[in-house]
Amino acid sequence: MGCYGGEPPCLFATSWYEENMKLDDIEKAMLDGKHGKAAAWAIGFQKDVGTFFDAEDFVPIRLVHVSTDRETMGDSGIAFIEELGNLRPSERYPRAYATADFRGFDKENFSFLLPGRNLEVQGTQAVEALGKLGVVTNHAYVNDHSVTAPGFGEACGYSGTPSVIYMNSIVGARCNFEAGPSSLAAFFTGRVPRYGFHLKAKRFATHGFKLNFSPANIVDWGVIGALIGRELNSYWCVPALELTGPPPSVLELNHMALAMASYGSTAMFHVVNVTPEAPDWETAAGGKKLDVKTINFNHVKAFYQEWGGIGDELDVVALSTPQLTVTEIIEVAALLEGKRVHDRTALLIYAPEEIKQACARIGLTQIIERAGARMVHGHDFFATFAKEIRLAHKWDRLMTHSVKMVNICEGYGYRPTPASIQRCIQSAIEGKVIG
Amino acid sequence: MSLVEIKGHLGIGPTVRGIALAAPDDFSARYDLDRDRGIFSRPSHKLYGEEFVGRILVLNAAKGGVASAWMLREMVEKKKAPLGLLLNDGNPVMAQGAAFAQMPFMDRFDVDITSAIFTGDKIEIVPAQGIVRILSRIKAKD
Repeated sequence: MGCYGGEPPCLFATSWYEENMKLDDIEKAMLDGKHGKAAAWAIGFQKDVGTFFDAEDFVPIRLVHVSTDRETMGDSGIAFIEELGNLRPSERYPRAYATADFRGFDKENFSFLLPGRNLEVQGTQAVEALGKLGVVTNHAYVNDHSVTAPGFGEACGYSGTPSVIYMNSIVGARCNFEAGPSSLAAFFTGRVPRYGFHLKAKRFATHGFKLNFSPANIVDWGVIGALIGRELNSYWCVPALELTGPPPSVLELNHMALAMASYGSTAMFHVVNVTPEAPDWETAAGGKKLDVKTINFNHVKAFYQEWGGIGDELDVVALSTPQLTVTEIIEVAALLEGKRVHDRTALLIYAPEEIKQACARIGLTQIIERAGARMVHGHDFFATFAKEIRLAHKWDRLMTHSVKMVNICEGYGYRPTPASIQRCIQSAIEGKVIG
Repeated sequence: MSLVEIKGHLGIGPTVRGIALAAPDDFSARYDLDRDRGIFSRPSHKLYGEEFVGRILVLNAAKGGVASAWMLREMVEKKKAPLGLLLNDGNPVMAQGAAFAQMPFMDRFDVDITSAIFTGDKIEIVPAQGIVRILSRIKAKD
């Protein structure tokens, strides 16, 4: 029995359930503390979650992704990781390879965005705490395959929703949301509870959709993800989508995936004839016949109209979530060359540090900064105390090409407007939301 | 003695009693809450402006990303947390967050939980048995 019951959480609470999953000898030994305190905490935690979802047993994993933005972790998350780090190494032996995509900290730009908070120091604290455990911290984005990726059919323990839906749907790896502490638990046990998307039967499509138009840009793809996510509104639903027009790029699929996960908690989708477990409808749906709903451009238009804002003074444009690729930054630079961002608008272009440096080497960063925009590296806009940023700058109207960010920033008090990169940049130049 | 007993799946956390805050809407700690002030902050949320600290939240589905897994514990430690959470449709993030925060959490009920429990109801959650009891009802549903 754990230490539940009205007291502040104790760091190493053990299992809540009396009867639960089947454990093998190693797992029993972990639970008994024979593999160290970290593994004992981890296997007990995983057993509780696995029992909650009727998992019969565990599945071994090789790769773990730890989601680590400082705002999300909070002081208690850091304290927890530091307490694990303070154990003797034999008490916290890792059993998987773990990476955390920190993406660095941009001192100059975060000083501008968050004058009241030293994010660099706070971020370094998290990097050091995880590093002590043996979690590899870098500036990359796992969906770019810039760190070791799982193979098709491989079980993994990924944390971020964008990474989980990407690995399930586009790579064909097997993963549930292993959020925050759960990914750390997987790191110490080398396994995760076998339920949800580790089971073949749960990976088949449950709902069918068909696009009867060809999306014009990545924000349209994000809107499609949002529409499907809202419609299904359940982690356990798996949409399959049939397209009209050319096959989408990975970036377009990624935008759709992020929005699906954000609006609907969706962790897996199929695109018929595109993603690896959907060569055709029958395979995608496991032989079931699904009703197929049509999504037309009027649905997309209605979504844009929900957010409005046309003609409003524009405080901030944040191009982030996911952070921009070099090809998108080339587009941004072309739109800004010889122009000037309006004085009342902040234009923030987010990219991983290595991408920012690559852009500087070919002159893109200079074009963007000459126009009065900021190239920001580090965690995404929404993940770095966006509410505090809004209060510090008295910002209200925000534009972004990320439909996921629209969803989150509404809760932080912004009035967000989703739009293409081109419309976002032109609006930043005019200082108001253009239609 | 309870007015009604509702059956759900086995849950996580200890038995608690408290006052419900219910709505047919979804839940994410990151998307919907001002965690410093202890209120629902998303203007489009049906509980917008409502204080949630010390209440048992009764909502429809878990939504959004991984943030809630860390955040629920942070909220408990800062004494800005709900007393418990009941959802029709949970997801791994909420279960992991509840286990990490040691916050009572249940889902998968035999009724629509947001219709069965009203804001202001005094309820008891027994996660280990998968049972929710309505102990008293002080007002009619709006």
